[in-house]
Amino acid sequence: MPELLEVSDVVAGYGRGPAILNGISLTVRPGQVQCIIGPNGAGKSTLMKAIAGLLPVRSGEIRFGGERIDGLRPDQILRKGICFVPQERALFPKMTVRENLRMGGYTLRDEALLERRTEAVLEQFPILRERAHQHAGTMSGGQQQMLAMARTLIVEPQIVMLDEPSLGLAPQIVQQMFEIMHMLRNRGMTILLVEQNAIAGLKHSDWGTVLDLGRTLFEGPAPEVLVDPRIQELYLGRSAAAAA
Amino acid sequence: MIDILQVLVLGLALGGVYALMASGLTLIFGVMRIVNLAHPIMILTGAFVSYWLFTLYGIDPILSMPVAALVLFVIGLVLYKLVFAREAASAKYSEMTVLLTFALAMSFDGLLGALFSNTQRVTTPSYGTQAIFLGDLFIPTAQLYAGIASFVIIGGLMLFLRYTRFGYAIRATTQNRAAAQLMGVNVEFVSLVTFGIGLALAGAAGSLVSFIFSFFPAKHWEWIAILMSLVVLGGMGKLMGTIVAALLLSVIAAFVGTYAGSTWSTMTFFLALFVMLLVRPQGLFGDRIEEA
Repeated sequence: MPELLEVSDVVAGYGRGPAILNGISLTVRPGQVQCIIGPNGAGKSTLMKAIAGLLPVRSGEIRFGGERIDGLRPDQILRKGICFVPQERALFPKMTVRENLRMGGYTLRDEALLERRTEAVLEQFPILRERAHQHAGTMSGGQQQMLAMARTLIVEPQIVMLDEPSLGLAPQIVQQMFEIMHMLRNRGMTILLVEQNAIAGLKHSDWGTVLDLGRTLFEGPAPEVLVDPRIQELYLGRSAAAAA
Repeated sequence: MIDILQVLVLGLALGGVYALMASGLTLIFGVMRIVNLAHPIMILTGAFVSYWLFTLYGIDPILSMPVAALVLFVIGLVLYKLVFAREAASAKYSEMTVLLTFALAMSFDGLLGALFSNTQRVTTPSYGTQAIFLGDLFIPTAQLYAGIASFVIIGGLMLFLRYTRFGYAIRATTQNRAAAQLMGVNVEFVSLVTFGIGLALAGAAGSLVSFIFSFFPAKHWEWIAILMSLVVLGGMGKLMGTIVAALLLSVIAAFVGTYAGSTWSTMTFFLALFVMLLVRPQGLFGDRIEEA
């Protein structure tokens, strides 16, 4: 299968601080849900920020459909077809749900298309329709996450990057998030998922990539990664060492 | 009763002009976190544009508002590119802008003083000294026209922010800069144009100022504190808050001026600021301050 996104030897970090990504390489194949797991500080979120253009790449390169995208601005990368839903969900708290959805389609120049897709999302998510005129900041965490994920439908990107969509949500809501994620995938989007809860993340994914200390440790089909003894070592060994 | 109505109407008209004066300041702070201490001198620059267009060519200052706005818009773009864009990555950006804009204020003050001297000037269109009587109510036409013009521009600004694509981009950048980027907004470009729009609003306000106040370059020092107090009272970068604060404070100041003497009326702004910072530091329309 051809690679959709290719990260090669990327080094990146915050400001003048130390590198968090230490020459990371990985590939993303189209049509899959690819889960990135790893202990705290492995560089999972940092990787997504680097791909999204929020963080400068110090060396290495990122290619999307063969074309280099490192060095582009976040708005340019979105236009190429990569949509990032960060942990903070990137909502506009003082805009209504509807305005947030419209903002998601900022890059669409076609007003009729924007309106049609906004309506389609509201059609699909009755809770959002119910709260269409409510400020996004007044909704529950689960509803906000739903809005942030549903909003990606408006631009129909090729890749959606989800950074810990389950963070801070109740278990039954988490299940709902994974359902929405699969819905996005069934619409033809490729999903790159970062999950702190490695087991839940891998169970809902096709491919698993394990990071540690800013590099790719190993990867493989999600069910295999799930039972790989190195995972136990990485998580349990680390925490056992910390406890000792 | 008629006295109260009289003071109320005059307070509202002047409040409209203050609201217009502060709107650009709050817009710029909202989008870029620039504390623009040079805002009042930019208003006076706009006042000089209208003053000279009237004095040399007899063009009515209300009609020359678009010219003053355009001149200041261009000055805004140039200043942003020259001064602010290169500092945008700095961690101490907001603090630095205080110094930068203070330096700009002094430079423009000196420049305007050198060009036009610090004599008092006022644009004198025919309506400058007229008044309308509604029963016992006395309304100076200059104040009335300035107030109406201000409300029209502010209304236009609000419609622009609410319904246009660029307005969405400005609001989004104000509320969550990183999120706006992720939605495809080129926030640097939005910052550039918003700085231009902010100064254009200052320029337009200047045209009105030119015929309701007598002015001279150094007068901007008086306004800095008043305008800043309106921005803080409104909730730092909240346009609606700033407008409400401007109207409210101007009306209160008008009453204080009438019943306690005009020396006390300016004090109203600072007293209100002081009280607000004590009881509700986030301002009228501000969010609770969450960041440490």
